[in-house]
Amino acid sequence: MDTDLVKLAQNGDKGAFTALAAARADRYLAASHRILRDFSLAEDATQQALLSIWRDLPQLRDPARFDAWSYRLLVRACYAEASQTRRWTPNIRLLPADEPMAADELGTVVNRDQLDRGFRRLSLDHRTVVVLHHYLDLPLDEVAEALGIPVGTVASRLHYAMRALRAALDADARSTTRKAAQ
Amino acid sequence: MSTDRDVTTRIVRSWLHEDAHEDADRILNLVLDEIDTTPQRRASWLARRFPRMNNNVVRFALVAAAVVLVAVVGFQYLGNANTGDPMPSETSQPSTTPVASGEPSAPADGSLPVGSSHILWDRSQDGATPNLGIKITLTIPAAGWFGDAKEGTLAKNGNVNAPDGAGLIVFARTNDLLLGSGDVYVYGDPCHWASTKPDSPVTTLDEAMAALSAQASRGASTPVDFTHDGYAGKYINLHVPDDAVFSDCDEGQFRTFVQGDDAPRYAQDPGQFDLLRVLNLNGQLVIFDVTHYAGTPASVLDELSAIVESATLEYAP
Repeated sequence: MDTDLVKLAQNGDKGAFTALAAARADRYLAASHRILRDFSLAEDATQQALLSIWRDLPQLRDPARFDAWSYRLLVRACYAEASQTRRWTPNIRLLPADEPMAADELGTVVNRDQLDRGFRRLSLDHRTVVVLHHYLDLPLDEVAEALGIPVGTVASRLHYAMRALRAALDADARSTTRKAAQ
Repeated sequence: MSTDRDVTTRIVRSWLHEDAHEDADRILNLVLDEIDTTPQRRASWLARRFPRMNNNVVRFALVAAAVVLVAVVGFQYLGNANTGDPMPSETSQPSTTPVASGEPSAPADGSLPVGSSHILWDRSQDGATPNLGIKITLTIPAAGWFGDAKEGTLAKNGNVNAPDGAGLIVFARTNDLLLGSGDVYVYGDPCHWASTKPDSPVTTLDEAMAALSAQASRGASTPVDFTHDGYAGKYINLHVPDDAVFSDCDEGQFRTFVQGDDAPRYAQDPGQFDLLRVLNLNGQLVIFDVTHYAGTPASVLDELSAIVESATLEYAP
């Protein structure tokens, strides 16, 4: 975390802001993509978040907390985008069929589809917590800070979300077992 | 069972980390083009407490940032504040009864509707976090009070300056990064604050009162116990000497305290009274700072008393 860059950007240094944004934009887009499950919405959310970061940066009181603060603005932008659409468009970009699949625990296309469907069924709140914790690797207290909610609420949402995803995978396993038995 | 959870976690994490070829270069270029015409909001956290400001009001607002001292003190005192004879009472009643029927209409001048509820730091106004950990709601009893639902300040006619201004500013620890957070440090000398910041913050009512009472370069009343909305508190009246010369003070500021490193509360003008009503909300200090002057009309003090007395506090960390 380069607090000097943050301070410069707070004072209107566009070069410093460019450096900060360039180092984070892909990550913001990836996170918002996973939260929103729609690439176009994620692009819009990322754009709005970056603009908000530029506009509101002078209001950040502690430059060392830039990342947590910026994630808050990103999540806020995601929520704003989500509120503007009632329909979740099919999204094949995150899980493209032509992408190479490693022989890892994730295993099969079925698993991916089950996960994707299970993830889409989660509420926005729950998806956000999962992405911040398991994708951005933020500890629970930083997730709480980014969302402005108590740590206990974060833990609760995460527990519920992971339980739902586990159930989605279990349903897939039972289905596969039944097919094999037939 | 825990193994199942571990496997699920690994699968989910692996799935989330699959390369989706998200390249934000196009978005970044759009943003960089747009910032050329997008002005930054200059340090509004410093000034957000009072939206209708002249320079002196800005100075008052600079104070606000992190610690919330709720000055709910001494309504009767306020009524007699001009005389310098504080007589706060737990059972005092506001001299102005808030009108709260139906949905008050907003005055054209931008002041708060009479009878309306004013929520301090209502960050939902700009889509920010809905849970600050603390919520304070006030009722507006009369016309001419200006505030900012997002920022948490009130001022009669937007004026908190000598010789007749009046306003309320509240400090408390919140969850919001923009509002700030941090412990409260009471300076040993408000004029020479740069060299008199203590090593330790005040964390209890007694510590806060002791530190405020002991401040050099100013007058202070004897702290008094009270309760408000079920919370225990202590209040104290502070006075900036009429002959204080702020330009002789460090950086030209007469500072009472600072929250964290960068949220100082400093005085508007010589002769200023600050009624600090400090509450203990489950271990968190909340400070209502009621500012007024010898020339503040008694009717305005009554209104301010009613506002402070109307405060309801919700604490949900």
